[in-house]
Amino acid sequence: MTAHKQKDLFPGALEMMILQSLKQQRLHGYALVQHIKRTSNDLLRVEEGSLYPALQRMLKAGWVKAQWSVSASGRRVRLYELTAAGARHLDREVSSFERMLEGIRLVLSPVKS
Amino acid sequence: MNWIKQLLSRRQLDRDLREEIQEHLDESIEELVAGGMSRDDATRAARRAFGNITRTRDRSRDVWRWRAVEDFFVDVHFALRQLRKSPTFALASVLTLALGIGANTAIFSVVNAVILRPLPYPDPDRLVSVQSRDTRGTPHPAALSYPTFFDFRRDNDVFEHIASFRDTQLSLTGSGRPVRLRGAIVSWDLFAVLKTAPALGRGFLPHEEEAGARVVVLSHGLWSTRYGGDPDIVGRAITLNREAYTVVGVAPAGFNFPALSDTVDLWTTLALDATSATQRGSRMLNAIARLRPGVTVEQAQTHMDAVAAALVERYPDQNKSIASTYVRPMLDRLVGDTREPFLVLLGAVGLILLIACANIASLLLARMTERAREFALRAAIGAGQGRLVRQLVTESLTLSLIACTAGVLTAIGLLRWALPLAGDSVPRILQSNVDGRVLIFSIALAVLTGILVSVAPALRLARVDVVDPLKAGARTSTDTSGGLRSTLVVAQIALCLVLLCGATLLVASFLNLVGRDLGFQPERLLTFSLNLPGAEYPAARQHDFYDRLLERLQSLPDVTAAAVARPLPLTGSQMTISFNIEQRPTPPWERPSSNMAIVSPGYFKAIGTPLLEGRALTEQDDAARPPVLVVNRAFADKFFPGDEIVGKRIEPGASLNEGGTTMREIVGIVDSVRQSPLSSEEEPIYYFAYRQLPWCCPSVVVRTSASPLAIESSLRAVVESMDAQLPIYDVRTAEDLLSTGIAGPRFLTTLFASFAALALLLTAVGLYGVIAYSVARRTREMGVRIALGASRATVLAMVLKKAMFLVVMGIGVGLVGTLAGAQLVAKMLYGVAPHEPRLLVLACSVVTITAAVAAYLPARRAATIDPMQALRSE
Repeated sequence: MTAHKQKDLFPGALEMMILQSLKQQRLHGYALVQHIKRTSNDLLRVEEGSLYPALQRMLKAGWVKAQWSVSASGRRVRLYELTAAGARHLDREVSSFERMLEGIRLVLSPVKS
Repeated sequence: MNWIKQLLSRRQLDRDLREEIQEHLDESIEELVAGGMSRDDATRAARRAFGNITRTRDRSRDVWRWRAVEDFFVDVHFALRQLRKSPTFALASVLTLALGIGANTAIFSVVNAVILRPLPYPDPDRLVSVQSRDTRGTPHPAALSYPTFFDFRRDNDVFEHIASFRDTQLSLTGSGRPVRLRGAIVSWDLFAVLKTAPALGRGFLPHEEEAGARVVVLSHGLWSTRYGGDPDIVGRAITLNREAYTVVGVAPAGFNFPALSDTVDLWTTLALDATSATQRGSRMLNAIARLRPGVTVEQAQTHMDAVAAALVERYPDQNKSIASTYVRPMLDRLVGDTREPFLVLLGAVGLILLIACANIASLLLARMTERAREFALRAAIGAGQGRLVRQLVTESLTLSLIACTAGVLTAIGLLRWALPLAGDSVPRILQSNVDGRVLIFSIALAVLTGILVSVAPALRLARVDVVDPLKAGARTSTDTSGGLRSTLVVAQIALCLVLLCGATLLVASFLNLVGRDLGFQPERLLTFSLNLPGAEYPAARQHDFYDRLLERLQSLPDVTAAAVARPLPLTGSQMTISFNIEQRPTPPWERPSSNMAIVSPGYFKAIGTPLLEGRALTEQDDAARPPVLVVNRAFADKFFPGDEIVGKRIEPGASLNEGGTTMREIVGIVDSVRQSPLSSEEEPIYYFAYRQLPWCCPSVVVRTSASPLAIESSLRAVVESMDAQLPIYDVRTAEDLLSTGIAGPRFLTTLFASFAALALLLTAVGLYGVIAYSVARRTREMGVRIALGASRATVLAMVLKKAMFLVVMGIGVGLVGTLAGAQLVAKMLYGVAPHEPRLLVLACSVVTITAAVAAYLPARRAATIDPMQALRSE
């Protein structure tokens, strides 16, 4: 997904994807990009220009916390970890997203059928 | 305080971010290199994929920024740079605003100290004053008598406690020189009313009100200075007025009552007033009460009115004229009278600040024109109109906050200069200082000012196309601010005229006050007081003492006359007694009343008051002879209008002799001596011969042939030789009494006049600025006119005409304001009508002349423009 396409996506989608990725494991920025790309079967590509501001926003909101560490490949990385508040936020966002999706689906379905 | 932590850790955040992004890039490059790309290509590709690194970093950082505030600081920084670039503008505007804010801060700190600060006791808003409402003449608040006070205390159920108090003088003897102390005679529960516990010992007990009890609570100050803070003072006896008093307590430090400014040295119980405690007609008490929880002032008022009305049934003769009460917050009672003049002063300084604001707004408008290119440039590179306005407001705020600092300093200076003028004419005024509340006021005012002065420039910014000036060769004189600036000047002139009219009225009134006939000759007249203790000086010995004192004083080399009197003129101290006129007897509650005085026969000669009719008092008017009175002209005019008064007899109401009241014959009329320096009318007064009353006069007047204060030491010596234990106090010249008496109006008038002068100056500067600026802008036009043959006089007239148009407009608006506002000062005027046309004309003339001078200077410059130079100037 390109930058402008991403803008078309509803606000909070990027955060939701980051939080969801961090739910399973601690990741650093580069790995996050790769993770989202991989799990979306290359459908979504996170722009670094959006990723880092988003991470800072989430740090500030207390949804994630960051820690410097050394990766398996011996590289210094800043690992992000989901906090309890972040997990709660993710749950709320996912359920509201699902409701929205359901709504959209219902609106669209008569046309399809 | 999370944001502080954020500010502090900002640097760390920035480092982390920078490193993190670098690592991200490195990792992408490694990956690409591992995929077979050359390192250079990989670096380029990674960067391309990442996008704008700086922007990403900025946007990430933005998350942590406190944006509005940081923009503000950037703007402030910029504003300061702008101010540094034009120091003249900066200095002029800071100075102008500092004067405006300073004057406001100073007056507000006085208002704060005098009116706003609560009384210095716990739960001060539950304290009320209780007075009688005297319906003889215009209903007015009146003091209570002891019997009425006792009735109020017993019959009310709205007060937790109600305490009586009155001032007294006591001489302390025993160790060292005798000293005269200021005391208060109070009912036992005063400290309970004030919810104040003595620092040492206890307050009074109920039984200590009984006749014969002599107990005292010392002030903290007296205890520490006179008794060295002796912790064992409680229980000891001290000698006051030649009697032994037991010290039962010491008040806490800083405690003062009832005075708000002067210090009271000690408190004793009303046992001292045992003789007057049964006289229902002797009204000399104040009362302070604490409301019971849940009781409002209004409820207390209603209740006390009922109590007072019930008393009329029982004591119709004495209480019929006081069938209701005044119950009001104690603070109101103490400072209520000062509210109006101070609010007027506050209004005056408010107007000054507005005038100052108009000047600054005008300057800013002029600068806007000069800075048109700068604004255009900023607009061109993307600043929105909102952002530009914010920049303008920030610049003004920077200016006004700098001025605020200078203003607070100005205020402190102003207070230091002005407070001594007020002396103790206003309660608590000497406690005026710049405290937290004043600072907040001052800063709020500065912020308001900053916003106010940006309004005109912002309006202008909104009106003109900011990009226009950028166009090559665009002339910078496409100035549309002239109208706005002219409006500001008109407003200034109007405000200035209002202030000037007020000042003219006050000054005229003050001159009236000072120039009034006092009814006596105050030059070279010394007064002092002493207090013969009743215990050692029964009536006969008192008269004897005064006779000998006067004799010895008169034998002093520089003394030409001496007399005793009570009360002294110009002190405002009053004793009022009602009387019955022999020819027209009335029931007690309808009797007229008037001030009275007790004097020795030589009094009128000593103070220089002429006898107008009949005879003066003589040495022969003593207890053995028929009782006589001398009255003043105002008394004769008021109570015997158009009638022959000498030979008439009246019967003063209070029982002045053991044998009850007596008819007294009026034997003479003297000129009206001014007893209260500020009363607007001559006060009626009747004089008793001191030998015909059982009690007399603690004050002495001495007429000297040389400087009166030079004899102070010799008269002290005289008194000391007669009774070494007798302190004399309040040694003052009559001129000094007058000066003290008129301190209030003098303070008000001086301040108001200074403020009006300041307003005039600011207005003149404002007008000058506008005219000078318009002349400068029209240099070319003037040059053309002169080149085409216009005479210099024509040009001069043209410029002056514009100025005078503004002045006339301003005066018109100002006069409307003055006529509307004059009522505000009406109550403060002595012998001047608030719409006195001559004074209004005077004020208008001053404004016009000042304006003419301010406009003439630039007009002359316009007239002397060299046409050739003017045409070449662009």
